[in-house]
Amino acid sequence: MIHNLLLIAAREFRQIAATRSFWLTLLILPLALAAAPLASRFFADKEGQSIIMIDQTGGDVAKAIKRRIEQNEQRAVMVALARHTERRNIRFTSPQPEWSLRKGWYDDSAVDRFVAEGGLKTALAVIKIASKNGADGFDPPLIGYRVVSPPPELAAQTPQSIAKAVETYLRPAPESNAKPVDYILFIPASFGKSPQVSLWANGQPRSFLVSMIETELGKNLRTGYLVANGTSAQVAGQVDLIAPAIAITTPPQGKGRERLAIRSALPLACSIILIMALMLSGSWMLQTTVEERGNKLIETVLACVSPNELMYGKLAGTVAIGLTMIATWVACGLFVAFATHGEIAELIRPALEPVSSLSSIATILYFFIAGYVMISMIFLVLGVMSDSMQEAKAFLNPILFLIMIPFSFLAPAVLAGTKSVALTVMTWVPLYSPFTILARLGGGLPAWEVIGSGVLLLAFIVGEVILLGRVFRACLLNSGRRPSLKAVFQMMRSPG
Amino acid sequence: MYALQLDQVSKSFGDFKAVDDLSFTVSPGEVFGFLGGNGAGKTTSLRMVLDILRPDHGTISVLGAQPGRGNSAQLGFLPEERGLYRMMTAIETIVYFGRLKKMSTPDARREGTALLERFGLGEFAKTTVDKLSKGMAQKVQLAAALVNKPKLLILDEPFSGLDPLNQGLLEDEIVRAAQSGAAVVFSTHVMQHAERLCDRMLFLARGRKLFEGNQDEARGTVPGRLTLISQHSPATLPGVAEAKATGPCGDGWTEWDVEMTPNADAADLLHHCTANGFALRSFEQHKPRMHDVFLHIVGGAEQVQ
Repeated sequence: MIHNLLLIAAREFRQIAATRSFWLTLLILPLALAAAPLASRFFADKEGQSIIMIDQTGGDVAKAIKRRIEQNEQRAVMVALARHTERRNIRFTSPQPEWSLRKGWYDDSAVDRFVAEGGLKTALAVIKIASKNGADGFDPPLIGYRVVSPPPELAAQTPQSIAKAVETYLRPAPESNAKPVDYILFIPASFGKSPQVSLWANGQPRSFLVSMIETELGKNLRTGYLVANGTSAQVAGQVDLIAPAIAITTPPQGKGRERLAIRSALPLACSIILIMALMLSGSWMLQTTVEERGNKLIETVLACVSPNELMYGKLAGTVAIGLTMIATWVACGLFVAFATHGEIAELIRPALEPVSSLSSIATILYFFIAGYVMISMIFLVLGVMSDSMQEAKAFLNPILFLIMIPFSFLAPAVLAGTKSVALTVMTWVPLYSPFTILARLGGGLPAWEVIGSGVLLLAFIVGEVILLGRVFRACLLNSGRRPSLKAVFQMMRSPG
Repeated sequence: MYALQLDQVSKSFGDFKAVDDLSFTVSPGEVFGFLGGNGAGKTTSLRMVLDILRPDHGTISVLGAQPGRGNSAQLGFLPEERGLYRMMTAIETIVYFGRLKKMSTPDARREGTALLERFGLGEFAKTTVDKLSKGMAQKVQLAAALVNKPKLLILDEPFSGLDPLNQGLLEDEIVRAAQSGAAVVFSTHVMQHAERLCDRMLFLARGRKLFEGNQDEARGTVPGRLTLISQHSPATLPGVAEAKATGPCGDGWTEWDVEMTPNADAADLLHHCTANGFALRSFEQHKPRMHDVFLHIVGGAEQVQ
């Protein structure tokens, strides 16, 4: 039996692996993954959103807002530097730069000191002194906003005429080739006496920006009010500096919620890879089975091998195809890790942690192969019930729909780390348990749940192979008519 | 030992009885025709021999063993509905089926190459099936059936869809296999092939055996026909069932179409005429064609090509 089974499996494997579509499809995933960061950089808004501020009060209000925007940009740079030096484990000789201290938050004075000391340029030089290649690969965060000087014709507008004038800048005529401005803030000369300012946005404004403008303008209004009511300008200015000193503590990099996300990355990827590999190899197997029926090959094959040998051989061939796909993708990953001198490896090391123990590897392998056998069996029976791919797809689409639906909430639920009822249910539904268990591995799963789900899945597969095996055998030589659902259930009941 | 023996085999599909109490034997070196119209039960019977189907009743012995894939090394099978893996080359296909029949890869490749050479396909050995003509693909499939030099070769409607050249090639291969000691069983409803090839034959209709024997015995079941030219009507002669005048021949002579009674011998009739002074100017005996034999035995229930 094993001899025939292996021959059939080898033939199935060769037939699928010999097609160009197999290798093309196989390489699309790593290529897509490699291209994704490049594409995101390519399409990213590197200039940030543009803001024109027309300050008719003298310019101090706009300057304060601009300063606030720049402070926030620099704060983001400091956070990125801290993460970079922590990830690279760069040690500094004293004095330790303030931006390298992993703080939850850098206050305005810290940001000001960072800028005063030379900002990013100086920080990168300090990193290079501490570690020769330490600054390599540092990606400064993209800037969020870009303050643009107001054109003279716009700056000269009155509160009555400004609304019409901004239209040309927010929605320039296509033939002008001018870039539309994202925001125009108009602060009239009456601001202070009146709280009224105007903001035109080229879409829904970001709440962070509006809040920041509101804060700066509010400060200005409060200072003016205090001075008007007899408080000295110095005291009024100090009042605006009064702010709570919030000590923000964040977990170290790779810990806390981030830890869950990192730990869940590879298990989730396993789950997605399983479903992708299954869909691809399943459809190929479906094609070869339909071809065998369509080309009237089945009878010739059955003269030499038993229906069970044929069925198990095909399943083994498909599992081999799936494992080849995984091995190729893993090999691509290792190649990239090697080619990037371990930078990628450094990044994914925390993600490997939950899947590097022997029990985790055994769990992944078990649920991966079991999931493969379970779904492939369905594809196989669909193939043997159909005389053409068109016919097979009529069966296939609702089943694919059934399998794919839970994926819409599987990843968000796993990353949220909550005790989702849906996740618990899916863990115990054999059709979904391989994907769910793989996806949940990063968050930590009780052993009893893994073992229980695994045993249930095994029992389901045994039952499935017995029942669908009957359908497979009954349909092998039934050409020309598609069995009804009732007939399929009858086939399942009949041992044959 | 018989190469194939069926004993009281029956098979039903629901209420439909496809094979009913079928018994026959085939000896090594014999070409055995399994003859019947469409739906007679030929394919079902052959599938039971190959263990693709299991009989409801009766026993089957294949080369002294029960039907099963254990016999595949000694069996060759060409199904009625034929097909090949389109993306495999001709030689890969033959080697694959050879391997399924327990051959080693080198043996299967050597034998497959020899068969392809013999069939005039040597230069197409490494061509994928989808690039071969239909006739070439049919030869490849025949080679896949013969690669293991089977002791029992089963051919289900082997001539259907073949052009005359390939029909000739297949007939040669059947004779060659039988001469090398293989038992050849082929089903057909084209009687010309049966007439040319079969040592013995079996007529099947609606799952039941109607006749089993050699060609002479089969012809013996059909009443003899004669064409006589005589001056008097032969209708009253012994062994004559019916005589019809087909036309005058001049000078008082008439041509007669004579049908003999079953089992009556034309030689006895000639002897009787000579002994009793029944004047004859012509006495022509017609050997029944197998087509007529089939029609006679199977009757109008079957549609004959």
